Amino acid sequence: MSGHLLEIERLSKSFGGVAAVRDCTFSVGEGQVVGLIGPNGAGKSTVVDLVSGFGRPDSGRITFAGHQLVGKRPDIIARLGLIRTFQTPREWRQLTVLQNVLVAECVFAHESLWRTVTGARRIRREEGKERIRAMEILERYQLSALRDTRAGNLSGGQKRLLEFARIAAADPKLVFLDEPMGGVNPVLGARIGDAIRHFADEGHTVIVVEHNLPFIEKTCDEVIVMDAGQVIAQGPFAGLRDDPRVVDAYLGMDLSHE
Amino acid sequence: MMYWVSVITEAGIFAILALGLDLVWGWCGDFDLAFYGYLALGSYMTMVLAIGKPTPPTRYIIGLALPYPLAVIIADVVVVALAAIIGAIALRNLREIYFAVTTLGAVSALYLIVEVYTPLFNGYNGLFGLINPGQALLNLTYDGYRQVFMLIVFAALFLVYLLVQRLSRSPFGRMLRAVREDERAAAAYGRGIFFAKYRAYLFGAALAGLAGGLFSAYISAFNPSAWAPQELLVIYAAILVGGRGNPRGVIVGVFVVYIGFVELTRFLPSPASRPEFGPGDAAGPHRAADHPDAQVPASGHLPRACGGWSGPAEGLAA
Repeated sequence: MSGHLLEIERLSKSFGGVAAVRDCTFSVGEGQVVGLIGPNGAGKSTVVDLVSGFGRPDSGRITFAGHQLVGKRPDIIARLGLIRTFQTPREWRQLTVLQNVLVAECVFAHESLWRTVTGARRIRREEGKERIRAMEILERYQLSALRDTRAGNLSGGQKRLLEFARIAAADPKLVFLDEPMGGVNPVLGARIGDAIRHFADEGHTVIVVEHNLPFIEKTCDEVIVMDAGQVIAQGPFAGLRDDPRVVDAYLGMDLSHE
Repeated sequence: MMYWVSVITEAGIFAILALGLDLVWGWCGDFDLAFYGYLALGSYMTMVLAIGKPTPPTRYIIGLALPYPLAVIIADVVVVALAAIIGAIALRNLREIYFAVTTLGAVSALYLIVEVYTPLFNGYNGLFGLINPGQALLNLTYDGYRQVFMLIVFAALFLVYLLVQRLSRSPFGRMLRAVREDERAAAAYGRGIFFAKYRAYLFGAALAGLAGGLFSAYISAFNPSAWAPQELLVIYAAILVGGRGNPRGVIVGVFVVYIGFVELTRFLPSPASRPEFGPGDAAGPHRAADHPDAQVPASGHLPRACGGWSGPAEGLAA
């Protein structure tokens, strides 16, 4: 199993009597773009929560870049280089677009209360570098004209782009995207696809939870199919199209034309 | 004249308290009802450190006669220590109404302990006798001292303002706002929510403790009836008027609300049938107003906690 950035072994989680995730096992190699698909209720979002520390599994192991993640807080996991998104964009509404990206750059040393009290000017000077980088990132996502706009005032599509700008700012090893295409028009969808490929080209690993199968087919190197809390197939999209278990899980849908 | 010196001094002290509370509520979004307790503890501790040994039947702890500024600093350390305990419990998992109720519970428990356990701070009668600390040293008249004290309060307010403004514009302030806007997203970007809020909470409590230290010298006496969560609602109103998370606005808000609403309304005629009541009288002979030189109406401070505001008559007559 060496060479894998993320390894999930026999992960289980129940809510009340309902098993959301059962004995879920998969792994993701470095630099890959992997789609995580499955019908509603398959347990995809629960897996995202468990991996990112927003939920605690009942059993199982999660190994990320050599670290055991089970029991760690979300912020600790994020600091290890695993950034997740949520199904709806969760921008910091009252902060400006630029401030959102600056926070996402995660330069924790500048947030020391003691250093702020004793040497705020030095921090401001040091932050010049981060500001330049943040502006470059905003440029890339065509948000630089909106840099002083409060993030809460952005349109739905712009919020999606800001989410990508924040991820780029955080520069994580692994990105877990939870339905990045929700409520996105085709033009923006193409840009999001490009953004994901760009992450991969820069050496980031990306896992995309998504219902839009044509998007998954175009964007992902590999697909993991979940149903009823378990992984039922993993491999390149083309090879899974005719897999009877996958077809069955999607109730016989023609996967090429969802 | 001295009435306005008194009012403006008090507003200045409350502005420091409000800047501290704004850190907790305006920046972090936590509605804290224990906050006035930090001012109270700051007042009590400053007194027991500065007014010397108790004379029976008065009882209280410590009873040192330290110089007033040193007493304020030590008192503030004690306040931060208490905030460290309450914050550690209340901030860890509780949010919104649960946080508010927990802090209200904490301050109510403290209130009861102070009231019932007399050896701590002389119970219901409270402490008194911190009258113009340093007046002899500065060689001032009573009125002169009150004016100088007003300037000291404003110097402190100015320094606190600069400090808070510095925090507000820093990455630390930005991070706190991100936590307030969306905790889960902030955690997903590596922010430890508890620790972020905790640091701001302790800093806010330190400002409340400082306000308490100044308050004790301002009213020269402190007892449980001067101390109630309702007092805090005026401060919350002031923050709302000035704008949450905006230090300059908060200071303006305090002056508008405190002087505009609370003090000026005293000049309205009050119904003749309205009784003057409140445990300010229960403080009996120890009230500040009974001090021969008192210019400050004690009824302007102590009974207000119990719902009654006295008319301006005493204040103006003085």
